[in-house]
Amino acid sequence: MTNGGGVLGLILSYVLLYKYAALFVIVYISALIVPLPSNAMLVAVGAFSSQGYFNFFASLAIATVANTLGDLTDYGITRRWGEPAIRKLRFDRVRFFNHLREELRTDAAVTVFTTRFAGSMSTVTNFLAGLVAVPFRTFLLYDFLGNFIEPFCALGFGWLAGDYWSYFSGTVTLAAGIVAASVILFVLARMYRRMLRRYAD
Amino acid sequence: MPSHPKDRKPESHRILRYLKYALIAMIAILAVLAILFVGNSWSLARQGILNVREFWLSAFVRGHGPPTVEEIGLVRPWMTFDYVNRLFILPPDYLRTRLAIADPRYPHITISGYADHNRLDIGTVMNEVDGALRDYLINATSIAP
Repeated sequence: MTNGGGVLGLILSYVLLYKYAALFVIVYISALIVPLPSNAMLVAVGAFSSQGYFNFFASLAIATVANTLGDLTDYGITRRWGEPAIRKLRFDRVRFFNHLREELRTDAAVTVFTTRFAGSMSTVTNFLAGLVAVPFRTFLLYDFLGNFIEPFCALGFGWLAGDYWSYFSGTVTLAAGIVAASVILFVLARMYRRMLRRYAD
Repeated sequence: MPSHPKDRKPESHRILRYLKYALIAMIAILAVLAILFVGNSWSLARQGILNVREFWLSAFVRGHGPPTVEEIGLVRPWMTFDYVNRLFILPPDYLRTRLAIADPRYPHITISGYADHNRLDIGTVMNEVDGALRDYLINATSIAP
């Protein structure tokens, strides 16, 4: 069995001690910017809920809301202060950056939704979405949808695995990595195809 | 900053080239992750831990009952006594009495936290917890009809 300690062990001890409050804080911080192993934690919480120590639906609701609030904080920060900061740092003179902004603006819904499954990439998308002023409702809708599906899968897997969840944590981490890489590949491929078409025109 | 029309084509080519490199890099990363995933799954299968049929059918049921004596290894230092009590369906004061725990935070303290606070060796405490669980579960099994 794995997960005897480390960051995940520390996080899980707080989750067991402070339950839903810890779950909320950890998911929120993880959604903000700190790359914590929140998916592995959710798999564990799913297992705890199968043992009656947590409530599955309450955990799902808290994880979804905390994740969405964390994403909205990122979005709000760059929406409010992003443009002056970009000008000050002279990022607006970097053409590739401008292309990225343009791409996100034209493909906001799909990009916001798919990057919810792309690990740390979702934080980057949140900041960019605020920067290019993706409409709030569009961002909220697709962010919430993605943030509901992702913890549902993690909690559900943990619930299915029950006491044996930790045997599969390495495999789950790799599977999450594969999903994240596939999503990034998908977003890049769309961007590449669209740019190719535009330049051909 | 708008680009000069003359710069547009080389500029676009450069960006497309970077994107192509990024795509190739992501495909390579994906391939490596897939190989690691398959290797990890095979390793689990070889150890007899991962059996797809067992995982989806038997473990579904087995993983939702109280752990048995063979599953005492599930206990980890980050677990709280409260959680261990719930997991193994122990009387709330069984571990406190058995391990002579005087800490007022019991059962809302992790095993590692208890060991650190009382300057005990975590390995020794874990062995004591394992022993207490083993005794309880063996007795519970022998008493059960």
